[in-house]
Amino acid sequence: MAKRLFSSRALPTVLTYLGLAAGLAFADFPILWMLFTSLKSNTEIFALPPRLLPEQFTLVAYRSIFSDPTKVRFFINSYLVAGVVAVLTVLVAILTAYAFSRYSFKGKNALNVFIISTQTVPPITLLIPYFGMVVAFRIFDTYFALILTYLVFTLPYAVLLMTGYLNTLPKELDEAVLIDGGTSWSALWRVIVPLSVPGIVATAVYTFLLAWNEFLFALTLTKSMEMRTVPIGIELLMGQHAFEWNEMMAMSVLGSLPLLILYLFAQRYFLAGMTAGAVKT
Amino acid sequence: MSRSAETMAGRPPTIRKRGLLSYKTRTRVLPYFYVAPATALLCLLMLFPMITVLRYSLQDGAITKKDPAFVGLQNYQTIFSDPVFWQAVVQTLYFTVMSVIFHLVIGLSFALLLNSDRVNPTIRSVLRVLFILPWLFTAVIIAIIWRLLLDPNGVVNGALMALHIVNFKVEWFSSTRTALHALTFANIWAGYPLYMVTLLAGLQGIPKELYEAAGIDGANAFQKLRYITIPQLTPIMISIALLDFIWTMQVFPLVWMTTGGGPIYATEVLSTYTYKLAFSSYEFSLASASAICILFLSMSMTYFYIKHQKAR
Amino acid sequence: MKSWKPLATLTSAAALWALSAAASFADTTIEFIQWWEPEMPAGALRGIMDGFEAANPGIKVKLVSGPYSATHDQIVAGAASGTLSDVVGLDGAWVNGLAKQSAIAPMDSLMDDAKYDRAQIADIVKVGGKSMMFPLASFVYPVFVNLDLAKAAGLDKMPTNRTEFADAAKKMTQADKNQYGWVLPLSLQTPNGIQNDVMSWVWASGQSMLKDGKPDVASDAVVGTLTYIKSLQDAGDISPGIFAKKEQDKVEEFVNGRVGMMIDSLAHINLIRQRNPKLNFGISALPAVDGYTGKRGLPYASWGIGISNNSTHKAEAWKLVSYLMSPDVNGKLVSIANAFPGNVNAKPDFSKSDPLFAEAFKIFQSGKLANEFVGLPVAEELMRQMDIEVQKMFDGQQTAQQAAANTQKQWLAAFAKN
Repeated sequence: MAKRLFSSRALPTVLTYLGLAAGLAFADFPILWMLFTSLKSNTEIFALPPRLLPEQFTLVAYRSIFSDPTKVRFFINSYLVAGVVAVLTVLVAILTAYAFSRYSFKGKNALNVFIISTQTVPPITLLIPYFGMVVAFRIFDTYFALILTYLVFTLPYAVLLMTGYLNTLPKELDEAVLIDGGTSWSALWRVIVPLSVPGIVATAVYTFLLAWNEFLFALTLTKSMEMRTVPIGIELLMGQHAFEWNEMMAMSVLGSLPLLILYLFAQRYFLAGMTAGAVKT
Repeated sequence: MSRSAETMAGRPPTIRKRGLLSYKTRTRVLPYFYVAPATALLCLLMLFPMITVLRYSLQDGAITKKDPAFVGLQNYQTIFSDPVFWQAVVQTLYFTVMSVIFHLVIGLSFALLLNSDRVNPTIRSVLRVLFILPWLFTAVIIAIIWRLLLDPNGVVNGALMALHIVNFKVEWFSSTRTALHALTFANIWAGYPLYMVTLLAGLQGIPKELYEAAGIDGANAFQKLRYITIPQLTPIMISIALLDFIWTMQVFPLVWMTTGGGPIYATEVLSTYTYKLAFSSYEFSLASASAICILFLSMSMTYFYIKHQKAR
Repeated sequence: MKSWKPLATLTSAAALWALSAAASFADTTIEFIQWWEPEMPAGALRGIMDGFEAANPGIKVKLVSGPYSATHDQIVAGAASGTLSDVVGLDGAWVNGLAKQSAIAPMDSLMDDAKYDRAQIADIVKVGGKSMMFPLASFVYPVFVNLDLAKAAGLDKMPTNRTEFADAAKKMTQADKNQYGWVLPLSLQTPNGIQNDVMSWVWASGQSMLKDGKPDVASDAVVGTLTYIKSLQDAGDISPGIFAKKEQDKVEEFVNGRVGMMIDSLAHINLIRQRNPKLNFGISALPAVDGYTGKRGLPYASWGIGISNNSTHKAEAWKLVSYLMSPDVNGKLVSIANAFPGNVNAKPDFSKSDPLFAEAFKIFQSGKLANEFVGLPVAEELMRQMDIEVQKMFDGQQTAQQAAANTQKQWLAAFAKN
């Protein structure tokens, strides 16, 4: 048996599985710990010696979240904002990427640099001028403010991804439509977009992820409890005097579930989208 | 139908004139319409704040004073003469470079493992999902998880001591010697999934014929890796590494919630330095100057990135 | 004539609706930003607001609650963009900076207009001679002692001076069992460990870190305190991990019986009981230097209240402030929050609370509130600067004298700039 295991043919496979096991431990031990912490009572979390598994499984943290309509509202808000942002970002990114991919025009490079450079300003310093602007536009404490903000944050990378992806689709496809008397608009929507579903899905997932997890601007641009999102909900559990550790972990676990499901669905498309997007960028 | 017949007959295809403008003018003007939404959004929502930050950095006492005076580069001088600033620069660079390198190494390793034919496909699909989990959580929670895990009385020390790797409680975030490394480790953990997913996709884009041909030529696994895989993946790796560099320079919640820049500046990075100036010392002008420095550093990376793209 | 009745109902309904609509137009809504709502039992703060609305028809209060750690930043950003709520919940350390930023308004003229009796307020916080904040509820920081650990260590009474405290800490430390006498949180993220756990020793002995309102950190009082806590660390009696600990970590260690004594907020009594009902603990005043017989200073943190400078409803905002500071309401509020009142005439009802509160109240009444950081410019930054020097001292990079001298230099510079 040992001979078979360590034969030169089986060894690489064994090593591969070992590597995967080590990787799994590295990647998921903290996650597992978080999951178990959400199932403990607060007292148990700091017990010594430190224990992974709860002595007494308890769903008190989860019950507390589900029974509080304010907290449930956080999830709804996050879904709404992240969903709308994903859709809008994809739309705007497709348009922009189409131009970058299919046309050369004056100012193209400058625009490219400008788009990427918007990522380089530290958000913390952007906060106050941005906040002032939002107030001036009278969209303070609305979904609209958050949606616009995240749209702007995710556009640069989304444009990058979509441009790279569109670059892999041969220009002949467009030309066929144009020759037949169509406009570039119809070429885009009737031919290009249906073929770019993987790229679109990749962009949508990345955008949703970013919008869902953002904290600083969500906190600053919303005021009333009805508008707050999940990351703020987590931070609210860190009071001045007490941390509700298990509830924080529970909220985090619940918060990651939709992202997980989204990724599971999108996995097939996601990988294909990211290939082309990154390679041919 | 007749048009295509004309084409096949060898005459150049005539594209019917539509609307007012000629085809040529339309093609010249059209791209601007397509980029208009993105440009408008970004100009409107980012340009103004960016310029405001620049303006603050050239004033004295922005926000706190009713009438801040214009003082040119004085704020920059103040920052540059602060030794803590330079310590933050060095530490930020260390933190960023190490994060990017290990993101790459770990991302690539996992991608290779998860792409391997030696692994059962079902297991592979399951593992692919399990491996991206660190990506799904918000920065605040990641900071808290690591703070608790690396607590002197926490699980990590418990495991290390049980395995006799260490025989005392390591004060991970509390000691000047280990704080920055612990922080970098946490950041590496949180950020590798993007690389893994991108490189995994990249691996699947490499034509199998290349490997088969190499196999026929007698190449072993390592040679295949070195001469086929890595060169094919290099463009992707460079793209994502440069972007990650820009993003990692901005990292704030992870550092702030674990160590607050301490102990004794050991984990002070440019983002915490800027934050403290703004919200603890109320020195918004200095904070803006610091922010512009971060922008400058990131822009220089962007410059290399654009040059690299043009070269391809 | 059958149609009379429904018509009459309709008309009166319409009239009522019109009336209420008109009334709501006449309503003023003021906003109140604070971090207290999540810290109190669900609905408690809202209940108090409802009481205010009932007593003041025409004014409605909207509560804006946020996480404590982010509240200060939100107030700064809100003030800078003109969206700050009318009534503002404040921590003593923020007052000076916000006053300088003209974010909060002086309340002297409002008090004069309302002919308010200033003497009933326990402690008005002033900046530049103008009244900027009232402490609504004060959370004092006595010493908590794990009585079981104390008994096991052979101690029979609470330490009353520094020598006894050091002795108790030593006896309660059993490093191999992960048990320590004292815990000290000095994280730089929220450096209030300097205020609550270090400088409090200075104030407990009636000493001061200021002279004529200016820093006097290089004094014997401060150096003596720094030397004292260094000695505790050298003896190995302080729980490890000092530089990364925050207040919450300190409490968790005490709750789990890993630490014998801690200086902590009374607000945690309920938390401790909740987490570990079997924990047997008591409280006592902070020990003073040996031989000190004067009034003991009691460190405290408060929930303060102020008015936004940009508010267009300052009169209504003042009504809410004075309502919350009135003896009855204040007494009720602090009973719920387990704090001590900001109005000297309030009589909090501790009969339903933990018996330890009554004890603490006695300590409170026999000592005096002492927190010299309240009202100082850039107070949080000052704490951070001292924190870093103390960390260097613990790390062996400098002596207590040097730490104090370095802090003095930095503080003088900060005072000069602000």
